[in-house]
Amino acid sequence: MSHDFYLWMSYGMTAIAIVAEIIALRARRARALLHVEEERELEAQD
Amino acid sequence: MTINWFYFSSPSTFYRFAGALAPWFFALAALAATAGLYIGLVVAPTDAQQGEVYRVIFVHVPAAWMSMFLYFIMAAYAAMSLTFNTRLAAMMARAIAPTGAMFTFVALWTGAFWGKPTWGTYWVWDARITSELVLLFLYFGFIALASAFEDPRRGDRAAALLAIIGVVNLPIIYFSVQWWNTLHQGSSVSFKGTSMHVSMLYGMLLMALASWMYSIGTALVRVRAIIVERERRTRWVRDLHPAIPRSVPG
Repeated sequence: MSHDFYLWMSYGMTAIAIVAEIIALRARRARALLHVEEERELEAQD
Repeated sequence: MTINWFYFSSPSTFYRFAGALAPWFFALAALAATAGLYIGLVVAPTDAQQGEVYRVIFVHVPAAWMSMFLYFIMAAYAAMSLTFNTRLAAMMARAIAPTGAMFTFVALWTGAFWGKPTWGTYWVWDARITSELVLLFLYFGFIALASAFEDPRRGDRAAALLAIIGVVNLPIIYFSVQWWNTLHQGSSVSFKGTSMHVSMLYGMLLMALASWMYSIGTALVRVRAIIVERERRTRWVRDLHPAIPRSVPG
């Protein structure tokens, strides 16, 4: 196998790992804000 | 002039502070990574023995460094949270763990794809590689333990203990190439000097800088999410994030 394959696999997976982490971070933040909203709605119902 | 550290250790203050700083760290990471990749993939010469595949080091070495540095910092925050019972230190330890795990995974993966053409195998149960794999499991263990309790403070304490015990693995990783007869090569860069071409060294150091900036940026963004999760019942969080419209009036 040519060296290009090993380089692409290395750099490609690094890029995927970074993109996946950023997507997970954004999702976590969105989820946290949604929980704030749910708390606010619960308080409004009381 | 003295800095009032207690002021910054308040989650509400740190939340704003982290929000202001994070974009700058991401911008610096992008700049350093662009320069590092340009030097590493374009400027640096082909290695006489390994050919083009040596260019894996521009992601492998910074990832391996970060995997250890981040664990050390995570354990330091964990120790701080146990000693001083500070909420923010425990949150910071939690915020660092996923990025540390990501870099450990990248170090192992890129090492495997460097090892195949160089050693003829993706994996060997070599002391350096095995102790790096143990580090990945320590990160996973920390993340799992921190999330295993209903009460996050109990999760913080249990995970902090694991993080502190796991520090013993760091010198094992670092000195493994000296203590045992390993397939993994010794360090090419040390405080005494380097055996690399100067452009290779600059490319690697720029990528290491980019990894540091990225790690700080992600830790700051993640700790903000953790602060919101934990403090969602407090007035300041609700005031900070006004109601999100669920639907657009038609």
